[in-house]
Amino acid sequence: MRMGTKTNTKSSSTKYGYFLGCVMPAKMPWAEKATFLVSKHLGLDFDYLKESLCCVRPGVWKAINPDWWLTLTSQNLANAEKQNVVIVDSCNGCYISHYECLQELKEDPEKLEMVNRNLEKAGMKLALKTDVKHFLQVLYEDVGIARIKKAVVNPLNIRIMRHIGCHARKHDERFPNYFDEILKATGVEIVDTPYDKTCCGLLLYFSDPNSSIFHRIGAKMQTAKELNIDAYALICSGCYDQFERAVKIYKEEKGIVFETPIVHFSELLALAFGYKPEDFGMMYCRPIPPTKLIQKLKEGK
Amino acid sequence: MSNQEKIKSWEKLLDAGIKVTEHNQAEDVKKYPLRKEFRPVAPDIAKASLKRDFEVGLVYYVGDDVEQDRALCGLDRKPPTAHVFKEALEKKRKILEEAGIMGTLGFEKDKGKFKY
Repeated sequence: MRMGTKTNTKSSSTKYGYFLGCVMPAKMPWAEKATFLVSKHLGLDFDYLKESLCCVRPGVWKAINPDWWLTLTSQNLANAEKQNVVIVDSCNGCYISHYECLQELKEDPEKLEMVNRNLEKAGMKLALKTDVKHFLQVLYEDVGIARIKKAVVNPLNIRIMRHIGCHARKHDERFPNYFDEILKATGVEIVDTPYDKTCCGLLLYFSDPNSSIFHRIGAKMQTAKELNIDAYALICSGCYDQFERAVKIYKEEKGIVFETPIVHFSELLALAFGYKPEDFGMMYCRPIPPTKLIQKLKEGK
Repeated sequence: MSNQEKIKSWEKLLDAGIKVTEHNQAEDVKKYPLRKEFRPVAPDIAKASLKRDFEVGLVYYVGDDVEQDRALCGLDRKPPTAHVFKEALEKKRKILEEAGIMGTLGFEKDKGKFKY
């Protein structure tokens, strides 16, 4: 069940293959469901990129061996080619891995040859016929902010902090601007803080867990607590993994309990489009239940 | 510093009973020099996630609890990734093995652990 009016206009003939990555299907099923509700609502030809594997995370694989990273990432690119879809990533880590791999192979024929020699062992081939897009790009550039605003039937009267994540800054302020503009279209009030551009600390966790948790993500969560905002919005699944880790570690090691729910960008869009929290399981399987947020949204205060 | 001074310093070390060519090494390494430590290709901290990469194709497992959560959110119990498409995982393993990646990383797939 959902409220609001359905919009079924196709934005283009592009077929999108949504890349789930590792974190979203296991830890953020509400975000996965909300992303599909929103995409279908906006009329996109949107389905899963099937047979997908880890992106593979460049923070580990590229650091160990750049050729291995190119090879393994190319398996996802080759799958997308075979399925004739444009890869869509909402996790910034997955986006940067797919995007940079594709660019590097376009610019370096010798690397492409090496990758294809390796893919051939599994009967696969990459012809560089696919494209890679961030979900923000699909919404802002392919759908357009006007259509998104038009789809909003339930403006959200809440105060949020937002975290775009480092890898979404690859193209300067382009994606962060998309992120803010789309969020504002849902009606939320964005509260700016000095920590908005601070890294979540996910990759730092590998070398210095203490600083990663208490000096990076901790500073952000403490700020959210002090400002008493309604929700912390993000889009990157890698960053979410780090937020979830921080909530648990703070509770266990410092006895500090955070109560600010961490929500995915797509959940806010779905709510603004008239879907109910139960349509995408907003209340399930999260370290901080969004009970107060849901109550506030229902009361419309 | 002149050569003469260097020689003196060297001589002083010898006078003090210090072997100038000796490095500060563990007793085991001195006794078995070919067993000296080396840096494995994969750092220890990354091994757990690499192991899951080899075994599942992705960083996280999808067990009964996750399947239940997914169902509560209105999704298929298993995601349409390599968790379901075992062929995709088999292809990845083939690439990992035949491109020599698994061997260089020292992952023993039968035992499910790293050699070093």
